[in-house]
Amino acid sequence: MNQTLNRTKSELEDSAMDTSRLTQRIRQTQQSDEQGQTGVAIMIKDLHKRYGDTEVLKGIDMEVKSGEVISIIGPSGAGKSTLLRCINALERPSSGSVTVYGMDLSDPKTNIDKVREHVGMVFQHFNLFPNMSVAENIMLAPRMLHKTPKEDAYQQALDLLEIVGLKEKADVRPTDLSGGQQQRVAIARALAMNPAVMLFDEATSALDPEMVGDVLEVIRSLAEGGMTMILVTHEMGFAREVSSRVIFTDAGVIEEEGTPEQIFGTPQSPRLRSFLSKVL
Amino acid sequence: MHVMPLRKVLGGTQSLSRWVAALLALLLGMAALAGTVVTTGAPAQASTISRAVKGKTFRIATDTTFAPFEFRDTTGELVGIDMDLIQQIAKTEGFKVEIQSLGFNAALQALTSKQADAVIAGMTITEDRKQVYDFTDPYFDSGVQMAIAKDNEEIKGYKDLKGAIVAVKTGSEGEAFAKRNASKYGYTVKAVDQSSTMYEMVKSGNAQAVIDDYPVLAYGITQGNGLKTVTAKVRGGSYGVAVNKGQNQDFVAAFNEGLAKMKTDGTYNKLLKKYLGGQGTTGKGAAAHKLSFFGLVRQSFPALMLGLKNTLLITAMAFVIALLIGIILGLWRVSPNRILSWVARIYVAIFRGTPVLVWAFFFYLGVPQLIGHKISIWLAGALTLSLNSGAYLVEIVRGAIQSVDTGQMEGARSLGLTRRMALRRVILPQAVRIATPSIINQLVIMLKDSSLLLAIGFGELLYQAQQIYAANFRVTETLFMVGVIYFVAITLLTWLANILDKRMNR
Ligand SMILES: Nc1ncnc2c1ncn2[C@@H]1O[C@H](COP(=O)(O)OP(=O)(O)O)[C@@H](O)[C@H]1O
Ligand SMILES: [Mg+2]
Repeated sequence: MNQTLNRTKSELEDSAMDTSRLTQRIRQTQQSDEQGQTGVAIMIKDLHKRYGDTEVLKGIDMEVKSGEVISIIGPSGAGKSTLLRCINALERPSSGSVTVYGMDLSDPKTNIDKVREHVGMVFQHFNLFPNMSVAENIMLAPRMLHKTPKEDAYQQALDLLEIVGLKEKADVRPTDLSGGQQQRVAIARALAMNPAVMLFDEATSALDPEMVGDVLEVIRSLAEGGMTMILVTHEMGFAREVSSRVIFTDAGVIEEEGTPEQIFGTPQSPRLRSFLSKVL
Repeated sequence: MHVMPLRKVLGGTQSLSRWVAALLALLLGMAALAGTVVTTGAPAQASTISRAVKGKTFRIATDTTFAPFEFRDTTGELVGIDMDLIQQIAKTEGFKVEIQSLGFNAALQALTSKQADAVIAGMTITEDRKQVYDFTDPYFDSGVQMAIAKDNEEIKGYKDLKGAIVAVKTGSEGEAFAKRNASKYGYTVKAVDQSSTMYEMVKSGNAQAVIDDYPVLAYGITQGNGLKTVTAKVRGGSYGVAVNKGQNQDFVAAFNEGLAKMKTDGTYNKLLKKYLGGQGTTGKGAAAHKLSFFGLVRQSFPALMLGLKNTLLITAMAFVIALLIGIILGLWRVSPNRILSWVARIYVAIFRGTPVLVWAFFFYLGVPQLIGHKISIWLAGALTLSLNSGAYLVEIVRGAIQSVDTGQMEGARSLGLTRRMALRRVILPQAVRIATPSIINQLVIMLKDSSLLLAIGFGELLYQAQQIYAANFRVTETLFMVGVIYFVAITLLTWLANILDKRMNR
């Protein structure tokens, strides 16, 4: 499965190479690595988010380089989802800035919809469209946004479904699938726009335990394929295994960050230690 | 900015447009069905009877229903004292008439604007009217009379009315007379809108007596309305035919001559007897042969089917407009654009917060005066129903959109779809499915509410029923038929709509 994924991924990227200016900018950022600069995918500066009187994010600074796999861990209510949702502008920051491949999301001139095409998101509850078949779910964005011909879009959907192991489910309704299958469809749907970054918000939390493995397997192969990813997860073992960096958040701030070895092996802050002692 | 072109709204959610089309086809199909039944009994509008002697044709405007002077008989023919009289005189005098059944006020307007040559509509000759019109000789001496239930043996005269309730018609001569004598005899006056209502009140014991125009009352008794008279009639005004001042004098002369002839040769008395029974009868034995219920059904069927057809047609028209309003303003209502959202909110508040009837009168009677241009009753009726139902549909659409899981919008937006695309392809199709039962429900409410339009004289089902029992006084049975027709139509409509819903939305 890994090999299939890697091959198809690179084919998809090649074929979509010139489709938009943003794609080119992403390329340029990735290429600038070789010129000694950092290929910054996402840059977050002093991000604050308030809901009424409660401050959910209290000044987040964070940088994600191209190809990095970041896991965000932390107790429930820490603001992990909010942080993730700020990266594709599902939430508007109260202050501070989020920059995705050089595009400042708070700049009114930035076309948020265009940015989102390059930032795939996978939700805890899948959010598949029940009024469409599995294939139509995957085809919708390419058809609407890239005007991909129906046959091509369907073929692409089949390819993506093959990657996540659900090719034979192309024409059923998502509601007829198990949770694990639905989540794999959701991943395929996000991949259909050929994103440069993938965001996962507790992608396995709503699944029965026996379904979790399949979904993690897909995410793992994406990581190995070089996809830039941010995972909010409670699967500590998985985070330790696939992440290049782990960020521990608590009460709206980044409490500690480092390599998986540092975070799980030699945690520094008392909060992280107590958190780990509870979840491990 | 967040407004979609309508074409897209409907085009995008194909299921919705297909569904609406199907519902409409249903309504219109039912209307057509009702229509085919009706053509067999379609009333003839104009009739000319006489061999042309002078060959002249006069356009005679009259009321729609004022039994026994003008009303439609069981075949839909316009008959009554006025009609028979004018036709007979036309015959003897050798002119032709073209009858225009317009309603009392419209008839006078037609006369003033020279769309008609004369008005015959049980019109009392008054000093005020004489300023504007010339009248023929009086052809009928009217007045008011009291009636009580047929089986009431207690009341023998006005003095027995102590503590009783006396029903009268709002604005009538009977009301004036009743009020003048209320304290003298110690009864209470209760004014209602229709003769048939008054008679039902007496029969049901809600009133003990009724004081009404003598001819209307006498005619009702001949039709077996279950009342009798115990006192003599009180003389009141006389009726005459009106023409514009100084005009159509040849017609006036011919009418007067013809009337005089009829009075001498006894045909005049015969005519009155035909509609009023013996002059001054107490009603005993005056009742005409009473039609069986099934005879009544057969008789009323064409008119009721015409009413049903109109009911279904106006409901269909109004439903289309209401749905458009509901979807467009429903989308405005949930739009992030504050102005649009408030426009929708205010619209809903206004139309949910005011009775349908107020708008019916406003559109039909008020607006023409504001814009100086007549509004067709269909337009006024359709606007009334659609603006009212539209308000509820806005809320139904809003509720349906909001009850679609927010994750659906987020899922669509996270793919890069615009809000508009997401609404069209993801949210609305799901919202339509959620809203369908409520929309069907609103359609049924609308169909029932359309009966309110009888207040402005729209010829829908209940209006036709009123016309029928205004002429034959078979109130309970006619209303029963109307109830059955509504019930069958609504049950059928709901049943078919639900089948469609299952077919198209699952
Ligand atoms: N739309 C909202 N309105 C108000 N409070 C919210 C909203 N979304 C999240 N919150 C609050 O913000 C805090 C952080 O939420 P979230 O980012 O979902 O945390 P996590 O994903 O880490 O569990 C929680 O206390 C939550 O109740
Ligand atoms: Mg969360």
